[in-house]
Amino acid sequence: MALYSTHTGNKPIKYIRNTTIIIVLLLFALATLFPIYFMIISSFGDPVEAGALSYSLWPSKISLDSYKFFFDYSEHSYRWLLNSLIVAGCVTISNVVFATLAGYAFSKIRFKGRTVLFFVLLCAMMIPYQVTQVPLYILIVNVFQIENTYRALIMPGLVTVYNIFLAKQFMTSIPTEILECAKVEGCNQLQIFIRVIVPLSKTVMAVMAILTFMESWNTFFWPFLVTNTMDMQTIQVGLKNFRFANTTYFAPMMAGATISALPMFILFFSLQKYFLEGVTVGAVKG
Amino acid sequence: MAQLAKTQIVKPAKRRRWKGDGGWAYAFIAVALIVYAMFTAYPVVSAFIISFQEYRPLGSVFIGFDNYVNTFQDSLFWKSIKNTIVYTVLTVPVSLFLSFAVAILIIPLKKGLQTTFKAVYYLPAVASGVALSVVWLWIFDPMTSGVLNQLLAVFGISNQNWLGSSASAMFSLVLMAWLSSHGTSIIIYLAALLGIDGSYYEAAELDGASFLQKLWYIVIPCLKPTTLFLLVTGVIGSFQVFQNAYLMTGGGPDNATTMVGLLIFNNAFKYFEFGEAAAQSLILTVIIAGISLIQFKFLGNDVEY
Amino acid sequence: MKRKMQVLAFVLALFMLLTALSACGSKSGNSENSNGGNTGNDASPTADAGKSEAKDTITALLPPVSGHYQSNFKQMESDFNALYPNLTLKIEPASWEDMTQKLDTQVNAGSPPDIAFIGSDGISKYVQQGMLMDIKDTATTEMVSDFDPAPLEYMKNGEGLFGFPAYMEVHAIGGNKEYLEAAGIDWKNVQKNGWTFEEFREAIKKGVVKEGDVTKRYGFVFATSGVTAKDYLNILIKNAGMPASFNKDLKYAYTSKNYLEVLKAVRLMIDDGSMPKELSSVDAGKRWNMFLTGQTMITGKGLATFENNANQNNEKLKANDGSAVQGSIPVEYIVLPVPTFLGEEPVSSTVVDGYVTFRGKKEPTAEHKANVVKAAYFLASGKVAATTNNDLFAAHISKSGREAAESMTVNRNPDNVAAVETLLSHANPARPDIPVELGAKAIKMEDEVIIPKLQALLANEISPEEMYEAVKAAAIKNFGEDGIVND
Repeated sequence: MALYSTHTGNKPIKYIRNTTIIIVLLLFALATLFPIYFMIISSFGDPVEAGALSYSLWPSKISLDSYKFFFDYSEHSYRWLLNSLIVAGCVTISNVVFATLAGYAFSKIRFKGRTVLFFVLLCAMMIPYQVTQVPLYILIVNVFQIENTYRALIMPGLVTVYNIFLAKQFMTSIPTEILECAKVEGCNQLQIFIRVIVPLSKTVMAVMAILTFMESWNTFFWPFLVTNTMDMQTIQVGLKNFRFANTTYFAPMMAGATISALPMFILFFSLQKYFLEGVTVGAVKG
Repeated sequence: MAQLAKTQIVKPAKRRRWKGDGGWAYAFIAVALIVYAMFTAYPVVSAFIISFQEYRPLGSVFIGFDNYVNTFQDSLFWKSIKNTIVYTVLTVPVSLFLSFAVAILIIPLKKGLQTTFKAVYYLPAVASGVALSVVWLWIFDPMTSGVLNQLLAVFGISNQNWLGSSASAMFSLVLMAWLSSHGTSIIIYLAALLGIDGSYYEAAELDGASFLQKLWYIVIPCLKPTTLFLLVTGVIGSFQVFQNAYLMTGGGPDNATTMVGLLIFNNAFKYFEFGEAAAQSLILTVIIAGISLIQFKFLGNDVEY
Repeated sequence: MKRKMQVLAFVLALFMLLTALSACGSKSGNSENSNGGNTGNDASPTADAGKSEAKDTITALLPPVSGHYQSNFKQMESDFNALYPNLTLKIEPASWEDMTQKLDTQVNAGSPPDIAFIGSDGISKYVQQGMLMDIKDTATTEMVSDFDPAPLEYMKNGEGLFGFPAYMEVHAIGGNKEYLEAAGIDWKNVQKNGWTFEEFREAIKKGVVKEGDVTKRYGFVFATSGVTAKDYLNILIKNAGMPASFNKDLKYAYTSKNYLEVLKAVRLMIDDGSMPKELSSVDAGKRWNMFLTGQTMITGKGLATFENNANQNNEKLKANDGSAVQGSIPVEYIVLPVPTFLGEEPVSSTVVDGYVTFRGKKEPTAEHKANVVKAAYFLASGKVAATTNNDLFAAHISKSGREAAESMTVNRNPDNVAAVETLLSHANPARPDIPVELGAKAIKMEDEVIIPKLQALLANEISPEEMYEAVKAAAIKNFGEDGIVND
């Protein structure tokens, strides 16, 4: 809080400063939000093949017909949302659990091969996913023979190296003294993890959960590859079906995009408080 | 698979000295390692083998280093490397700076406002890339009626062929990245900023430090691990960038926006030259590893990894 | 004690992983069962299908071939099952743009669908992979003789037959009747006798309408954004004496002087102001929109089905219920031939798409092969073909298709029907004689040199001569000094 001077007793200056800051932030926000604004505005348009040359920055009218059109388009529209929810949910839970565990081990427990193993994991982040796509597909389809199932959609994403890295980075900043105290008091590592690390790491776990859920929710290529039937597709794959060879149902596509983004917005807003708990974590440190 | 084998080799040796917490550590990382071995390490090893082959679904032919030789002789490969570097240099530092600046600006505000702004900046990252790319295509419409062109017209500038000309296509992609890719970094920066101990500031204030001095001597050093983390992941992400180029320009015009990621994708899924694609992606891996090492070396002296 | 706890934790971690998997797995299992109840014999996996003599499942990966095509899938599946009670046809839908990618990945993994709907130009690529199933010996004489010979040729490569054709379409251009007449163009004569590039150039100049400096209507707009640039150049060069990338002696054709002339023409039409200078970013959706909203007189590429699209929009305008394309006007779509260059004979750019038969890693059994052929024939002929082609306004190319179509009515402009017939009469012939290696090299050269350079040419960044030299240099590198046309 105290990066800025508090200007105690000089309220006008503080107001001017904060107002300027807010204006700058708003301008930047405007530029950032424009595509989303445009997406939502367009989604209220009529479900007609959009005139690629007719842009309006203001909605000429508000109609929910495009949303109706989206859900009428396929009998599986709701199913797509459900599938995305199941897949992203499973992936998120498993990532939070296993990445936190691994992150803790890599940051706070000394064991043989730690550096080497972590480096090997880190290498994975540098490998473009194009490398692994075809072998992975062969593995899922030809070896495990689980194409077009939830398992095929979930398994490759159970734990990502990015999340392990994130957890490790965060936990490095947890003072070792706390852990040593717990150890002296007779806790084993699992107990330390559950009683000390998890409460202190709620922030990073929330961040992880949101990022993972979002990435899983928005991913297109993998679900597209391993699903064969409409009822197993995720919302992103379904969304793509709106684009035809020569015409684009722009408004319904945007309605679909808005619908697909909605759970993300809700998740994000409802987990906001965990981000702010970073303050508490900082306080424990001192 | 190699990693899995490694843990198994390590374990019996360790068993005798299980007094420490090594066993716990292995238990904690077990699932991560298994998933990693199955869905990352195994495909990579298999790609490595393919890179020495002329890939055929019905039995590949071993051709030695031909794929690597071809890649190094391919002018398009070098052009794509150049494009990728240009894109990275233009996007990553600017994005980092923007995120940092925004995070610093958000900090003094009241909690409610903080939350609102965080949410606002994060929103573009939440919406699906496929849908947003359609919106961006409209923004970059080359005709006078295009959104961006209308904005230019206000300043008396004639309409630009944003994605259709080699001169501006790369810039258009960069602009898109500047305005849509910082939500995550802002939040991570904010989390780190909030984690800085207040006593540092108090001490500095006692010494009469100005805002800029506090920024320079406290905030920037304290955020070094975060910056390094964001820089490394940003550069890695940027080197793998594929989706925007794929959805917006398809690599054109005149290959001005063909990035390495897109080139590899094309070789693998358009021309079936999976061997060459595998070779190229492994070369890319080496390049990325090299750059990351350099970053760690120059920025990470006092950071423990 | 401690050691036990550690082992326990390890086991626990594994257990959690497994429950995570099996919990999700059981969910999917349920959904499969409930699903299986609806569609019938879903459970038998394709891989084992060949073993049982009676029952078999044939998988087909199909894009939205026509507007109503994908909504007929259920009907098609049950019709097929009624015809062959022991066989199940399982259709996987995919959008056009995702189709190739999905198929390619499945092919690379060695497990493609039995049947996929693709363009005949893709056949050589899959033949080279060894992933296509030659059905020459399996297809019965009645099946083969049902199809017109010209389109069937396109499904061949070397000696083999790799599927059945669905339609043969001509890539032409299309005009707005009202504007053509306003510009004084005798379109009926053009439909019958064609036009030269010089005539065409003058015609599209007359089509331009300006308000001050702003062009309100262009003479000609062709989709050239991204890969569609390929179509543009290809339909032009066919009318300039280069019907295929290789001539009869298998020499690479696009190093001919005529090629340079076509490139110059491409630039001329933009410099004249008849085509927009932003042409390089006009995509297929946009130029069709420009056509419907009266912003261009002629558009390309034009398919017969566009008449249908225009008619449908006209009806929506008439109904005035706000469902028509925004800002559109009533348009009468006129099929027009592509102009000819340098006195060369007109050769229509013809596209044959069809149901191509694939094989997996394992050699397919004779029964399975026969079943796949039955399914491919079912899709490519009779009622399915008739419905689809009518929807597309495409000509019927099988006897059974024509018969099935007799009872269906189509609202088409007779002049356009005649024009398409004329165009089809000089359709460019199939070239199964081009070896797969040469074909693959030509395709890669097109993607890596021709299209990028064409994009630059359209954006006025390089001259026609520079592009020509670049193509020639790449051709020499790929095919050698002796492998190219020198005139």
